[in-house]
Amino acid sequence: MEIRVRNVSKNYYSDGKTIEALADVDLVIPSNRIFTLLGPSGCGKTTLLRCIVGLESPDTGEIAIGDEVVFSAERGIFVPPEKRALGMVFQTYAIWPHMNVFDNVAYPLQARNDSKDEIVRKVAKALHFVQLDGFEKRPATKLSGGQQQRVALARALVAEPKVILFDEPLSNLDAKLREETRKELRRFLTELKITAVYVTHDQIEALALSDTIAVMRNGRIVEMGTPREIYFDSDRQFVADFIGHANFIPGKVAAVGEAGTRIDSAIGPIACGRKIGAAPGTAVTVCIRPEFIRVLKESRRDGENVFRGKVESLVFVGDAYEGEIRVGETLLIFRIEPTTAVREGEEIALHFDPLHCSILMN
Amino acid sequence: MQKTRTALTPGLIAIVGFLTVCPVVMLILGSFSEGLGTFGTFTLDKYVQAYTDPAFAEILVSTVIFTLGSALVATGLALFLAYLNTRTNIPFKFMFGVISLIPMMVPHILFAVSWVLLLNPSNGMINLFLRQVFGWEGAALNIYTLKGMILVEGLLDLPIAYLVIAPAMAAFDVSLEESSRVSGASNGRTLFRVTLPVLRPAILAAMTLVIVRSLASFAVPSVIGMPGQIYVLATHIYRIIATGYATDYGMAAAVGMSALAASITLIVLYRRLTREGEKYVTVSSRGYRPSVIDLKGARYPLFGIVALISFVLIVLPVIVLFYTSLVPYVMTPSAKAFAMMSWRHWLAVLKDPVSLLALKNSLYLGIGGATLGMILSFFVAYVIVKVRTKASGFLESLSFLSFSFPGIVVGIGFMWFFVQTPLYSTIWALLIGYIATYLPYGLRPLTSAFVQIHGNLEESSRVCGGGPLYTMRRIVLPLLVPGIASGWILMATMFVRELSLSVVLSRPGTEVLAVQILRFAEDGLWGRLSALGIIMIFISTALVVLANAIAKKFSKRY
Repeated sequence: MEIRVRNVSKNYYSDGKTIEALADVDLVIPSNRIFTLLGPSGCGKTTLLRCIVGLESPDTGEIAIGDEVVFSAERGIFVPPEKRALGMVFQTYAIWPHMNVFDNVAYPLQARNDSKDEIVRKVAKALHFVQLDGFEKRPATKLSGGQQQRVALARALVAEPKVILFDEPLSNLDAKLREETRKELRRFLTELKITAVYVTHDQIEALALSDTIAVMRNGRIVEMGTPREIYFDSDRQFVADFIGHANFIPGKVAAVGEAGTRIDSAIGPIACGRKIGAAPGTAVTVCIRPEFIRVLKESRRDGENVFRGKVESLVFVGDAYEGEIRVGETLLIFRIEPTTAVREGEEIALHFDPLHCSILMN
Repeated sequence: MQKTRTALTPGLIAIVGFLTVCPVVMLILGSFSEGLGTFGTFTLDKYVQAYTDPAFAEILVSTVIFTLGSALVATGLALFLAYLNTRTNIPFKFMFGVISLIPMMVPHILFAVSWVLLLNPSNGMINLFLRQVFGWEGAALNIYTLKGMILVEGLLDLPIAYLVIAPAMAAFDVSLEESSRVSGASNGRTLFRVTLPVLRPAILAAMTLVIVRSLASFAVPSVIGMPGQIYVLATHIYRIIATGYATDYGMAAAVGMSALAASITLIVLYRRLTREGEKYVTVSSRGYRPSVIDLKGARYPLFGIVALISFVLIVLPVIVLFYTSLVPYVMTPSAKAFAMMSWRHWLAVLKDPVSLLALKNSLYLGIGGATLGMILSFFVAYVIVKVRTKASGFLESLSFLSFSFPGIVVGIGFMWFFVQTPLYSTIWALLIGYIATYLPYGLRPLTSAFVQIHGNLEESSRVCGGGPLYTMRRIVLPLLVPGIASGWILMATMFVRELSLSVVLSRPGTEVLAVQILRFAEDGLWGRLSALGIIMIFISTALVVLANAIAKKFSKRY
């Protein structure tokens, strides 16, 4: 089911100050896809989710789920959360501690008075789906974090909603379990053909899980696209900086050619394999991600996008070396194979592919 | 939902405001009035009369010695016990949990009576024993002294001091001591230069709380102090309104004002000290365990002391009372005494119409009062924890205000109010007074239960299709059951034993258990007193068991 959010704003007032949680958000969340709201804490992503589910009501605008308008400020419509027929997984899982697994999962069905047999059948099916067969009688308090997360998912799915919402559901799991659960969740959601709205501040989670990502900041959606588009083609510094690590090199457009754009930057001329509409002389920022910087130790060759610098620092982090190279006055961060023989203080040459440089408009 | 919430808060502020502010306002009005019933013209006579009384200075001195002495005894013992429990390998640590639960078991007046039975100068059992065995003349030990009062009150307030000090002791960062040792200080020097100074806010907080409690205490001053002609503020007020021909509620109010002022000041001080104490809490890392000191050979001797304290606090009063209820007059246990045992005092009590009425009234007040009190506490706790506006913050301070009021003073204030209403001399007057005074007891467990219900648990029920009422019934109420049960137990046991408010508000026809016991004590009817006392302990215990069973049934899937 498609979700349409139109001109939604919401302000909070505390201690006489107004905090703009959502500023005129316009958004269409496509049907049967995994849609992620990504942004730093306080950007309004959770508020938007809570407005969709009905736990908060916006100050202005309209929200429609499928064909039903669930909120409209002008028309005075507010459908309470229990009438919206959605599923939701909370950050805290919100597993009720006084019930066992069966009662937790059966709750949405009991609330709408399904028949006993129906409930037993559907709960078993939901638990089977999240691979918790036979856990019915287990008290909720006797579950591990990962199991609680699955129970929460089973509960959100059991009434077969058309839309399921996730509020940072993996943030309470430890790193390894988070990675496994993320993969599993991706598989579950792809299997189900369901509209999923997922809120997170973790860019890796967003990139790995989503069909579409919307990046939020200060109550606004600043950029929307597929994970690849967001990662490689973002033309905003905030987005590029928030997603992964990046080097930002200030410069000016020197020439716009068939193959791409040439930029005069602080470290010298940079060739970018991308065309932009900016006229020569426009101030821009070149963005290069550290993992695309190659170190050329042996060869002394000169060429396109080859720069010389000194290794200022080098840290071994297991699967890679992370370090900084000084080129002229500019410090660039890089990330290279752990087997590369580079030492701190060494003079080296570095290179990056023009296709991996993006140009951000200032 | 927004609309009902906004109506709820002012409504509760009105109710709780009436309960806590009414007695204070009436007390102030009364202290400037001519006589109960008709306020008359504004007058300062009662203050002049009360504070120029030559005996008043002596009463103040006794009050200061009594409260400070009790604070020292209670805090000293609490420090000792808390240290043993949290920092050493003393055996049978569950005993310490029992000690902190005693206030639920033996009512203060019965505890005081049992000490009178043991140590009164004319026929105290220990004194009789010393006379028979060693041929000592007169009274070797006399409980009817300030020292006796301090000892008994100190023991009674020990659990409160322990509950303040033990958590602070448990949170103590041992590395502070270790670094002192590494810096070359001896064990003793470390104790006095590091350990005790760091614990100082907790120790002072415990002392302040005990001073407030002993200032409000009526059982010990009336049962032990009055026979020895030792008066403190509470018994002085009681003497003004309850003895002699000319009872003077105006003067009682005037004296009560200073007790009230002292209590409020001390509670403000206590709050400040506990805040300061939080600043001192040094540990935060997870999985932290304070290192345990090996007592080696001293383990069992020290445990013996703990066991003795527990015995004296819990077992001894019950044994003494039960024994006294069976023998015809006070005598030391002997073959003769056992031969003369009978149920005569029990039968006398069960045939005594006033005792039976007191029993009925106390039961009614305990069960009905606690139930009404918990209903009020439920809404107040909901507003305090879940609504969280400025008004709810005000409601919170308002509802914990009465915690600092001495019962007898609140009683005088309410008296000035009730005589204006048809409630005077009815059981409803007692009910209202009880709930006003003990609201914090019901509120505290409920607010902490509410705090533990994370907002997501309710929200998740709403998203799952449960409406507000369905959510209340299936999620909120079941999760609150433990809090409701413990609040109910606390209130009900407090109500069944209530004394200091009741001695003022109880009239013929509205007698309650503790007041009836006080009457028996004043008349020296120790056998009947003991029989009724055992019944009282039995009721308290039954209420605890009953409420626990109900809580277990309701949250059985927990």
